[in-house]
Amino acid sequence: MAANWYLAPAPVTRRIRAYFAPVNRAAQAPVLFDPSQQGAFSLDAPPSPWISLGWIQDFVRQPASRTSPVLTGIPASPLEQVRETLQAQVSFQFLSWTKLTMALATGSQHMNLLVPATGASAAADGAQAAAAVTVQAGSTASFVALTALEAANFAPGNIVALDVDYTGQTGYVGSPVSGAYVRAALTDVDYIRRVTFNVSLVSQVSSTGLTLAEPLPGGPPAAGVKLQAVTGFLDREGGSFYQEWSALFVIQGSQGERIFLYYPRLQSRSGAEETTLPLAGRQTGSLRRTLLKGQFLALPVTDPLDGERVLCYRSFLPAPNALI
Amino acid sequence: MQNAKDSFYVALRTRLVAIDPSRTILLRGAVRPGIVVEEAEAPFSQLPNDVFILRWLVLGVDLDFPSAMAAEECEFVYQTCGTQSFGGLDRGRALSGMDEELLTILQPFYTPKLNYISQPPSAMLTGVFWDEPSFAPITVQRDRLTRTARVMVYSYREQGE
Repeated sequence: MAANWYLAPAPVTRRIRAYFAPVNRAAQAPVLFDPSQQGAFSLDAPPSPWISLGWIQDFVRQPASRTSPVLTGIPASPLEQVRETLQAQVSFQFLSWTKLTMALATGSQHMNLLVPATGASAAADGAQAAAAVTVQAGSTASFVALTALEAANFAPGNIVALDVDYTGQTGYVGSPVSGAYVRAALTDVDYIRRVTFNVSLVSQVSSTGLTLAEPLPGGPPAAGVKLQAVTGFLDREGGSFYQEWSALFVIQGSQGERIFLYYPRLQSRSGAEETTLPLAGRQTGSLRRTLLKGQFLALPVTDPLDGERVLCYRSFLPAPNALI
Repeated sequence: MQNAKDSFYVALRTRLVAIDPSRTILLRGAVRPGIVVEEAEAPFSQLPNDVFILRWLVLGVDLDFPSAMAAEECEFVYQTCGTQSFGGLDRGRALSGMDEELLTILQPFYTPKLNYISQPPSAMLTGVFWDEPSFAPITVQRDRLTRTARVMVYSYREQGE
């Protein structure tokens, strides 16, 4: 059987799609993306544990590695060149505000604003929270089992955070994503639920528990996990913690070709920043869309194939029938 | 380029049937989906209501690439007087419904290119793709509301085309 072919021009693309997956901070293990096995995935259903963050715009990747010539002879002329520094930066704008996009677009911890206890003193990152509720056995990633008495305190549309109590541990905390690094023991028993990424929207309440609109990022709650309602999210300018994620950017061409930009380790490199955009090209009013701006520094990994230290993998899956 | 035009039309016609099988037109004695190519029909003395009329306009060709790319502008014209049962008072809603339908059938913004000269149609090597539509303001003529929308349709010229 013979195949026909054509000469493929440069890909015509409309938008870029972003996917992120949490780096295991304690083990310093990024999430792998194998384009040979996973490259054909549906853009709406990325392989686990990649999380779609939707379309992005103004994507710019900037190689900042410096090379220098090794000079020899009189007059000196380049004999070789060496790579002096290894560095790359990535920036883009998210087209939505979610827990995850907000966290990625900040240079520090990203917190959940827990529903405060009655009469609690005001605090900049949320007052002392109302008591957490213990999750019952039989919960799944999409259903949180509660007693009827506790379930009655929730309503569809609530946002909930699920994680364990803070009991004085230090180091990375939060599951499944490390939400913060605790250097010295704290006193807030709800601290892990303040920084956890294990949040979801309640779509339905019954006498047996809460049905969630999206499955929990951490999967079925483990024993000891508690739940608190969330009113919103918060981040701070400053601090010493840096978000670190594995990132995958997909550029889909008009003929089905795909370009993947896989960054095993990306850290936020600047504080929270917003940018605004007129609502429509011809619109002359004052309405503007506020977008989250993400700026990242790529960190190296050692490729086990040949021991080289690299920042990014770019792969290209050609269009069907395109001549290479 | 005719293959791209045919593929674009058939893709939209198929999508329209899927989302609104009741939008039809009686043409030359046959009931057909309510989207027709103006240049492939007898001239209309008066454009039919509640149907998408597809009209090809500008053609541009970019020869700088390994495969020449054609860009053809497609205009959709559609109009409505509403329904008799509401005395035409629903003409605004009817036009909004057609706006929504057009936006829906244009997505996704690509379709495979097929050669409809052969029967059954044969798949070609490349695809047809297009831009987001730009909608013009409504024009009002008595109780008739008319809208046009334009889309730029792109395709690569293949061997034998």
